[in-house]
Amino acid sequence: MELLQGLAYGLSVSLQPGNLLACFVGVFVGTLIGVLPGIGPVATMSLLLPITFTMSPTASIIMMAGIYYGAMYGGSTTSILVNIPGEAASVVTCIDGYQMARQGRAGAALGIAAIGSFIAGTFSVLCIMLLAPPLTSIALRFGPPEIFGLLLLGFTMVTYLTAGSKLKAVAMALLGMLLGTIGLDPISASPRFTYGSVTLGDGLGLVPIIMGLFGVSEVLLNIGQGVSQEVFQTRIKGLLPTRDDWKRSAAPIARGSVLGFLLGILPGIGAIIPTFISYALEKRLARDPSRFGKGAIEGVAGPEAANNAATGGSMIPLLTLGFAPNVVMAVLLGAFLIHGVQPGPLLIKEHPEIFWGVVASMYVGNAMLLVLNLPLIGLWVQLLRVPYGILFPMILLFCVIGVYSEHGNLWDIIVMLAFGVIGLLMKRFGFEAAPLVLAFVLGRMAEESIRQSLLMSSGSFAILMTRPIATTFIAAAFLIVVLPIVLPPVRRLLGAVPPDDTT
Amino acid sequence: MGRRDRAAAVVLLVFGVIALEEARKLRFGTIARPGPGFFPVVLAAAFCIVCAALVLTAVRSGSAPGAIDGGRKMIAAMAALFVYAFVLEPAGFVAATFALLLFFFRALERQRWIPALAGSFATAFVTYLVFKVWLRVQLPAGPWSG
Repeated sequence: MELLQGLAYGLSVSLQPGNLLACFVGVFVGTLIGVLPGIGPVATMSLLLPITFTMSPTASIIMMAGIYYGAMYGGSTTSILVNIPGEAASVVTCIDGYQMARQGRAGAALGIAAIGSFIAGTFSVLCIMLLAPPLTSIALRFGPPEIFGLLLLGFTMVTYLTAGSKLKAVAMALLGMLLGTIGLDPISASPRFTYGSVTLGDGLGLVPIIMGLFGVSEVLLNIGQGVSQEVFQTRIKGLLPTRDDWKRSAAPIARGSVLGFLLGILPGIGAIIPTFISYALEKRLARDPSRFGKGAIEGVAGPEAANNAATGGSMIPLLTLGFAPNVVMAVLLGAFLIHGVQPGPLLIKEHPEIFWGVVASMYVGNAMLLVLNLPLIGLWVQLLRVPYGILFPMILLFCVIGVYSEHGNLWDIIVMLAFGVIGLLMKRFGFEAAPLVLAFVLGRMAEESIRQSLLMSSGSFAILMTRPIATTFIAAAFLIVVLPIVLPPVRRLLGAVPPDDTT
Repeated sequence: MGRRDRAAAVVLLVFGVIALEEARKLRFGTIARPGPGFFPVVLAAAFCIVCAALVLTAVRSGSAPGAIDGGRKMIAAMAALFVYAFVLEPAGFVAATFALLLFFFRALERQRWIPALAGSFATAFVTYLVFKVWLRVQLPAGPWSG
């Protein structure tokens, strides 16, 4: 009963005109940047962060979340029509989606992608409603050692799930945490690495770092390489899948939804990895695996459902623990904190309007996206024809405005540009940005939790091994490191994981 | 390519050593009562170890990271952005943005003068209106817009 009340309350919040507008703007912008290559949800969300200052916290979070799952819809459009993933989570969709388009079935591919996403999005919203309240009561029992254990597990997963060198990922995570220590010490408030600078006293800003690493460096890379834009010249017809399409897609959508949601909850997974696992799963289960890669609709339906369900799943740790499981959630966490709201176990009780409003808005937003993406598909296709030479100055300009407007501080633009160069060099030498940013955000939490744990135990690290929940997390982290070494099949599975590029 | 990889790792290692030296100047405290320096020292030390490992493994790995093409265009765009950041406040948003966009459109993308001029001016002016007047985002006004 409590659940239905919560849902009804949430719907009443999300249907208020201001929140409805925020939701629409979010999913619209999300679809837009999902379609456009070279700018992704992480950069866009941080870009719009300053604009949310004047909005209510509920409306801001609704808009931010809308950008994220909206981008998942938009990304599939470019994958299918242009064979360029507008969004990293749609890389797999290219494989069979583009082949379908070449066979004149672009409409069916776009249709099943949108409908599959809608079903999965709806499923994950229902799961959040069911799971978040009980998880919250568990999370309330978390003390500093448990939080530290969870963070350790999170970092381990983030670094072990990267495609490139694990060692490089560890280096980036440590670097991110080190950069996070610039500014005031969270416990004694004494300055660290500030060298008398007032600007450094506040620490490096999250927005300039993200805009540099994910926005500027990406645009620069595209300027250098040139973006090929060859829109598939065909009339898109028959958006509604045929009965045969339905029969083939129903099970992949169902499996993709469950898989995506469960994986999405885990730290470090994000929305990209579930798409690859879903694709591999559907190929294995298919009666005729040779159809895959030649326009199998299952290869579109499953992964598209998985990435949308994963966006919902990754909201769980944020809403119940205040823990950001991936970079996108880290930005969302930032949006909460800007408004002075601490997400976590107390969120449902202290800010029910935010919790239920945001969750219900995701349902509303998914319905909006269905309308935005099916009848209006032609509009987005037109957008793909805008030359990159016009697009990139605009993107760079918006990055500059977004970063400057946060504090009106010129220094932030310099930091952004510096991280743009750093990001470019990182790409050049095979270092990934995601572990750095995630560690930068979570570093403060890690420091506080380990220092408080040590205070509690008067300096004994055994406190991490004597409390059941904390020990479980640490044991799991240990297994992730050891298992791939001991068991080659696990190593192969992890080796098959794609680059975690969240741009 | 292994050599370049190693050079990158050495740069990181040098940064790590400097960070460790700087972190050691902070009060470390004790394990039972960790001070502000505790976490940075542990992090910087771990970072140095990982970077040292990277230096060593870079020698063995033959993996060639993809070269980045079009370097000159990228450097030009980056340089323009840095200049933009420094003239933004003295010149004001509209003037600085106009110049930046004109550089992008005309010098980098080689568009004709008229569309480049018109496009740059229109974009600079419209973004100013949208962000400053409508969304009330702070942007430097400069000497001409009061």
